[in-house]
This record gives sequence, structure tokens and C-alpha cells, in this order.
Amino acid sequence: MSLLPGFLAPGLLLGGLAVLVPLVLHFFYKARYRKQPWAAMRFLKLSIEQTSRRLRFQELILLALRCLALLLLAFALARPTWNAISGGGRGESIDAVFVFDTSYSMGASDGEMSRIDRAKIAALAVIDNLPPNSTVQILTCADRTIHLGPLTPGNLDQARQVVNAVQLTSLAGDILPGLVEADSALDRGAGSNKEVYLFTDLQKTGWDRQSAAIRAKAAELRQRCTLIVVRCGNPEKAIINVALVDLTYPGGIPHTKSRLPVTILVKNTGKNPAKNLTVTLEVDGRSNEKETATIDEIAVGQTLPITLTAKLEEAGARLLTAHIQSDDLPGDNRLHRLIPVRDTIRVLVVDGTPDWRDPKQSGSHFVQNALLPIPSDQQADYHIQVTTVAAEDAGAGLLGVHDICFLCNVPATNTDRPGTPGLSPEFVSRLSAFVKEGGGLIVSAGENIEPQSYNVTLGSRGARLLPFDFDEPKTAPADEPYKAAPDSVESMSFLARFRDEPFSTVTLDADFTKVIGIKEAERSGGRVLMRLANQLPWITTRLVGEGEVIVVGSSFDTSWGNWPAKAGSYLSFLQLTLSHLASKATRGFNRQAGETLTWHPTEASKGFELIRPDQTRVKLGKATGGENGEKLSVNAPDTAQAGLYRFALEGDDLPSGPVFTVAPDLRETENLDALTDPEAEEILGFKPVLMLAGPDTSRELTTERSRREWTVWVLVLLFCVAVGEAFWAWFCGKSW
Amino acid sequence: MPTLLQPDILARAEALGLMARQVVEGLRVGDHKSPYRGFSVEFVQHREYVPGDDTKHIDWKSYGRSDRYTIKQYEQETNFIAHLLVDGSNSMRYGDGATNKLEYAKLLTASLAYMVIRQRDSASLRIFDNKWRDELPASSQMGHINTICHKLEAAQPADKSGMGPLLEKLADRVTRRGLVFLISDCFDDVQPMLKGLQHLRFRGHEVVLFHVMHQDEVEFPLDGNVRFLDLEGSEELMARPHLLRPSYLRVVQAFLKELQRGCDASRIDYVRMPTNRPLQAALGEYLVRRLQYSKKR
Repeated sequence: MSLLPGFLAPGLLLGGLAVLVPLVLHFFYKARYRKQPWAAMRFLKLSIEQTSRRLRFQELILLALRCLALLLLAFALARPTWNAISGGGRGESIDAVFVFDTSYSMGASDGEMSRIDRAKIAALAVIDNLPPNSTVQILTCADRTIHLGPLTPGNLDQARQVVNAVQLTSLAGDILPGLVEADSALDRGAGSNKEVYLFTDLQKTGWDRQSAAIRAKAAELRQRCTLIVVRCGNPEKAIINVALVDLTYPGGIPHTKSRLPVTILVKNTGKNPAKNLTVTLEVDGRSNEKETATIDEIAVGQTLPITLTAKLEEAGARLLTAHIQSDDLPGDNRLHRLIPVRDTIRVLVVDGTPDWRDPKQSGSHFVQNALLPIPSDQQADYHIQVTTVAAEDAGAGLLGVHDICFLCNVPATNTDRPGTPGLSPEFVSRLSAFVKEGGGLIVSAGENIEPQSYNVTLGSRGARLLPFDFDEPKTAPADEPYKAAPDSVESMSFLARFRDEPFSTVTLDADFTKVIGIKEAERSGGRVLMRLANQLPWITTRLVGEGEVIVVGSSFDTSWGNWPAKAGSYLSFLQLTLSHLASKATRGFNRQAGETLTWHPTEASKGFELIRPDQTRVKLGKATGGENGEKLSVNAPDTAQAGLYRFALEGDDLPSGPVFTVAPDLRETENLDALTDPEAEEILGFKPVLMLAGPDTSRELTTERSRREWTVWVLVLLFCVAVGEAFWAWFCGKSW
Repeated sequence: MPTLLQPDILARAEALGLMARQVVEGLRVGDHKSPYRGFSVEFVQHREYVPGDDTKHIDWKSYGRSDRYTIKQYEQETNFIAHLLVDGSNSMRYGDGATNKLEYAKLLTASLAYMVIRQRDSASLRIFDNKWRDELPASSQMGHINTICHKLEAAQPADKSGMGPLLEKLADRVTRRGLVFLISDCFDDVQPMLKGLQHLRFRGHEVVLFHVMHQDEVEFPLDGNVRFLDLEGSEELMARPHLLRPSYLRVVQAFLKELQRGCDASRIDYVRMPTNRPLQAALGEYLVRRLQYSKKR
């Protein structure tokens, strides 16, 4: 807190100029003296000599006291407060800005009521306690801020309604946007007494993330207003929370007429063990077919995978919904996931080194075995249908009936390897369109790969499908083969499982004698999924349109290493990759709270609405784009609530677009620790007014306001000075 | 009758009389003790008859008892000369009407002169400031009273007082012992003044100092903003008297104490005569005190 005082009525400080009156009178006023003939002049002179210095001293003190009294009077009239500009003293109207933390941790209940309910009660108490002519502006803040109203800041009844209508989001907390918007909102207040109320549970994650910026903004706010932090929730009671962290189906590709094993990751992010929890899984909201599992106890910080199965009967995007019950924080207890369910996955394998007489010698042998890990008599009914063709047989039309294409050691052109046919230009041309429309392409290296030709055909100078242009192959020393580096996989990658056992060890066992060179330095939109131990790129990827291209730097046969023989690693890679590419159809429809939903409609003439999880509709306007071959698109940024969203034409009752799932931002519950008061002060850089939302909020507020304005103390001092002046005047005039 | 002679004052003063408390040297037989031995009513001593003595002074009763011729000697009683010294400096102008210091001094002087001449003693008058301004020689004629009164009535204040040298000169000039009445406000340098008075005492005079002061000068009851104009000069002082009063009173009291102490040390009668007090009462009180003192002796 600044040591400099602020004033509620600074203009009245000009009253301090009244101090000139006694000064002028003292130094310039010539009093009228009556004449008095006097004989005993010698006595008079002596007495004047004896008293003049003392009298002058007394008069100066008297003058000083009178000046001080006038200055104090002006000071008191200006109504000093403890900090500049802000005030909110008793009786003075206040421009209040309420910032509600609406991150979903505010939904935590301590048994009596939720934190957000406490915040609302406290806010209503603050409104009731505001002096006449005060204004209120209400903001909500999670990782973004919304100005809720009221439309007329002075309409406190409307403000009460707005407070009651405050809703939680599924966003993670970040208090900075709230402070920034509060700063702007202060500009809209006309008065000089400003207060910003922060109703928050002081959860650490919302404050630590941008603590330096929060500190800077708080310092700015401090110069303009009084910052009042209202802690909502009982800091003594640790809440129990188990979050649904993820929902995956590692068992394979979702397809019809099967039960899909679904792994639901649940994590105890609370401070106490959670017991007797029920986890359920539904498909398309069919509660009568839901599967349920019970967790007897989950320790603090523990993550448990709960595997349930989902019965998939129809092809298309199916909605899986996981739900967990019986904890204190409901915001992360439900998780939706759309998955693409197919009847079959059609895979085209283009083999650059086919051997029809001895298929085992074909370059695609290991790929076929990995894609079809079943007896040959069952392959016809298997959900993955593989078509293997030689390069010269790879017609463009084949791409139209397949979902994923493998290029196994295929020359880019017929001239790359004399005697070895390559890809036809028609096929290459169709391949580009195939990927852009959502198809998956997997390219493996080998002796048939001519880097320059590939770059010209599929690389930066051709179809622009390769993540990076190729360079000359790198050959490992005979006694020191290249090794993969599973640790180089990013945690968010679909290959993240390779970081963990047993996939990590199995992958490390593979030896590579040769890999294709990658021009990583040239920025082409690709990224590296996994590297070799010597940091050479091994597996790279690039998103092209709606599809994706994955390039493996080694061969899919054993010519450049023994990796295809390492079934645990090679098979897993192909299955994960296939599952990853097959699920692309619904990937854009599974979002996290706060992310923008984008849909590409075909209708351009009508406006669209977003149907939110609570069935409220938000107008989005017409689709944009559609020029130069670009798709029409509708964007919906308002996705603060977790749940199911749909697009609909304006006025249509039924939705016309796909379903989008929005999951809560799990950063919010990673750490449920709340800041202590000293920690909050350290982040803010000063000591704000900290109070606890509860029945005493109103009283604490009144006390705080009284304490902030120290006019009373100035008046007391003024009274003392006045009494001192009167006493001193009497004392100087009395006989002694 | 001159206006300075007020019957009520004179009646009381005349009743009390003014006796010399010590020997005085006069030219005529009077009521007061003289340093000379003579033949009067106040017996002093016997002495042996020697040829040449007047035989009518032989004490025949003593001869009958002792068969020796002795002569009875008596103390010679004479009249005295009262020197009336009146301060006529400008400082005596202070006061209005009856409380004017000079008028009060004139009244006192006239009353004393009347008493002295009325009992056949002689009175001289000197009015001074820093010099002898007016002088009347001593006389015991009744008509001298009128002369003194006229001189007093005509006296106007002037100049500053400077008593010390004047008193010194007077002591040298007046050799016969008598009574000296100094009537002044004593707004002068105290030590030279006391020295002059001591000189007079050394010459054998009985000295009485009538210290005439106005009530304002003693109590300083003024208020407000006052520009003080010096009566004996052109000096001006601006002050707020109520703030100075404590200090002023301290200074005045110190002055009065010094004067009183100096007079007591030289056995000079110091009589404070505040002008707000009726002269009849003030003079009467002094004369009573003086009479009581004489009877004790």
C-alpha cells in the first residue's frame, strides 16, 4: 500500500490556501495603536527588552498552530484515505467492479454450499452495503473475461439479478484477464471512489501461471482503486476430487459389431483419498446399455485406468460419455468423446519391391502381417481390409476406395530405379487430393527411394506431401547401428506410449543400419515424431488439408534394420498409426473448453446458431470463406461450458451440423491447492483487503471502509490543535 | 486663599503639626531642638559658675544644698527651615485632574509650606527638572505662603529630571541643618539621586522623600495596542500592554524596592504618595506616623 494518502474530495485541498490569511495578518497587517503619553518609559523599555524575544517566540508558535489548524481543516475536508484515488469511505458513492472467478474449481462444495454460491451471497451483501449512487459492473473470469452487465451500472437491482445469473465454466482459472478487464471497467466509472472485488477461491494454478503479469497489473490497479479479494470457500476443508483425465481406446480401431475396450483414466487430484466411486460409460447416451465400474479407493495423486467396453453397432461418429460420481467437485466428472466407428478400414499398400513368387520377400510383407494379425481364413471378415499392389499397378482410382495408403520403398517415378517401376504422375496427383480430403499416407524408406526425385515429386517442389525434403541416406557404422530414442516422442503425440514400458525397451532393441536423410532445417510444416539416439529424425509427420502424412525414415522390411522383426514395437507402431489416422474423421469434433469450434457447412446463404450444452442458442452469423476453392466455415469461440455443442441453421429447431464434444480444461484440477493470504500478498506485491465470503462479509466491509478513510483522525488532530492553540493563546496572555 | 491650600487638608495637617525629629539650626527661638545651649525651659545640665556668667542663672537652691555656685543650663529651642524641593520635570505631567502627579505634588508642597510657616518655621521652595528652575528663599512670614502658592501655581513641567547633581549642590550650599522635603516621581537614575539624598543627610538634614506615582505607573492596567509617547522625550514604543504587564510589574517593583532600601539605609523617610489616594489621608497618615515616632523618642 502506498504511503501517500489519497483524497475523496481533493479539490477542497485548495482550502489549505486559507493558511495565507494568518500569515498575511501576522507579517503585513498594521494594527491601529492608540496613543498613550507615558512617563515611566524606562520601565516599559526594560520590560519590552525582557519579554520581546519570548513574545515573538510565543507568537510564532501561535501562528504555526493557527496555520496547522487551517491546513488540517482543509485536509479533513478533502477526506483523506489510505491509498491514492481509491476510497470508498463511509457515505461516498462507489464505482464497484465485481470479478467472479468462474473456473470450475469454484463449483467445489464444502458440504454446505459451493464456492460460487458463497461468492454470490457475498456479492449480494456487498451490493446491499453500497452507499447511494454507487455503480456496479460484473465480470466473470476464467481464462477469459466476460462483461455480464448490468446495462446500467447504477441499476443495483439489475446487478443483483446478474449476480444470481453468474454461471461456472469448464475453463481453467487465470485471474489476469479479470484484472485487465477490471482495469478497463474502472474507466467507465465516473466517481473517484473505486473498488474492485475479486470473488475467488484463490486456487494456485490460476495465480501462478502468470504471476509476474498479475503483479504488474495489480500494481496498476492499486493506483486506481482498492482491491478487495474475497476468498470463497472454506480454506480449512480439503475437497475430495477425482478427475476424468482421458478416455482412450488403445485396443484398436473402433468398428461395428464389436465391443470396444475403452480406458478411462481417473486421477485423484484432491488432498484426501477418495472412496467408493462409480465410473460409468455410455454410448450415444444410451444409459440402459452403460457399463459401470466401482473404485473402492484411489489414493491422493494416483491415476487409475478403468477399462470398460463400449458396444458399437453403427458406423459413424459415436459419442462415448464417461461419468464419475461422489466427489466434491463436479466440473471434471463427465467426459465426452466422439469416436469414428467404421464397418471396415480400407488400406492400400503400394509395394516398391513386390515378390509375388515369394511374398515373404516383398517389401510389404511385414506391413501386411502387422495390419492383418489374424489367420488368413478370417481376413475376409476382418475390419481392416488390405489391398497390396505393385507400383505399376497403383492406379489413381484405387485411392478413391481406400482410407489409408502405404508407400513401401516405392520409387517416386519410373526413372528413379531403372527396371523398378515407380509411381505414375496420375497416382501422385490423386494422392495429393486423397490426403487433403482426409486420407492417411504412410511412407517408408528403402533402397528405391531417390531423395531428389521424391523431393521433386512428393516434396517441396512437388505435391508438398512430405513433412521434410529427403536427403541422402545415412548409413550407420557396421558395429554401431542406429538406435531409436523413444524418449524423444512428445507426450501429446499419438506415439506417446513408446515412452513407456514395454514399448520403450522393445523399440530400443531395434537396430537401424540405414535411414533416409531429412532436411530438417528447411521449414516445410512438418514435425518430428521420434528421433534416433543420434538425434537424426526418424519418424516425421505433416498435416495436409484434412489428412496427414507420416514418413518413416527406415524401411518397412529388414533391408535397413531389424525393426520390422520387433513385433512389439513395429506392430504397435502400425496399429497406433492406423488408429490415429482412422480417427482423424472425428478429431476436430473433440475439443477442450475454450477452444473454437469450426464447422464447414455447405449452406452459405443462411445464418447459423450454436446450441450450447444447456440448450441455449448463440447466433453465429453466416458462414464465411468459400472463395478460391476454400471451404465455408462457421466458427464458435464461445465454448466455456463442457458438454455437447451443435450447429443449427437460424430458426431451425433441429441441429443441422455435427456434434462437438467439449471437455473441461483439466489444468484447473491438476493442483487444487489454494493460496494462503501471505502467498496472495506476495504475488500481488502488496497487501490487499482480504476477507472471507461468509455471514461477516458485510460487517468486514463496513469496518474496512471506515478504516480506509481517516478523516475522523484528522478531525481529532484538528481538535487537539485547536485546543492547543486556545490554551497557548491563553497561556501567552496570562500573567505569570 | 490660594487654591492649593485646601482647608480639609490643612485642618488635619495643622492639628498634627510638623515637628523636627532631630536638631535643627534656626536663627530664632522656636519649638524645635537646637544644637546650641541656652536658657530656656528644657533643662540639660549643671555647671560650675565662673566669673563672667550672668548671676541670674545661678541655681540658688543648689547653692543652699551644696554651698557651691552652680549654673543651670537649658537646651536652646529654635525654629527650622524646611526646604521644599518639587520635581517639575515633564514626567510629572502624567495623570488627569486630581491624579495628575504635578498637581498632586503642588498640593502637597503647598500644604507642607502652610504647616511649616503656620508654626513659625521657615520654608523655602525650589522647583527643578535637571536644574533649579524656580527658587524662593526661606521665610517664616505668613505672607510667604501666598508667594509659595503663586509660584507653585505658575510652575509648568519641562525637561527631564536630573536630581542627583542638584541635590549634591544643594547639600553643599545649605549649611544649616533643616528639613528637606523632596517631592518627585523619582523617574531618574536611582543611584545618583540616592547619593544626593545621602549627601543631604550627611550634612545633618532630615530628609523626607515623597514619592508621587500614578496608579497606572504602578499597576499598568492598560490593554489593547498602545503607542506609548515618552513625556520626557520624543521616543515612541508600540506594545500590547497586557502581554508586557507581568514583566513591567517586576521592573517597577524592583525599582520601588531599590528606592525604599536606599532610603532606609540613609534613614531617609520614604513616603509613597499614590495620586489616586486623597492627599488628606496620605499626608495625615504620614504625619501621624511621624508624631508617633517623635513620642517614642
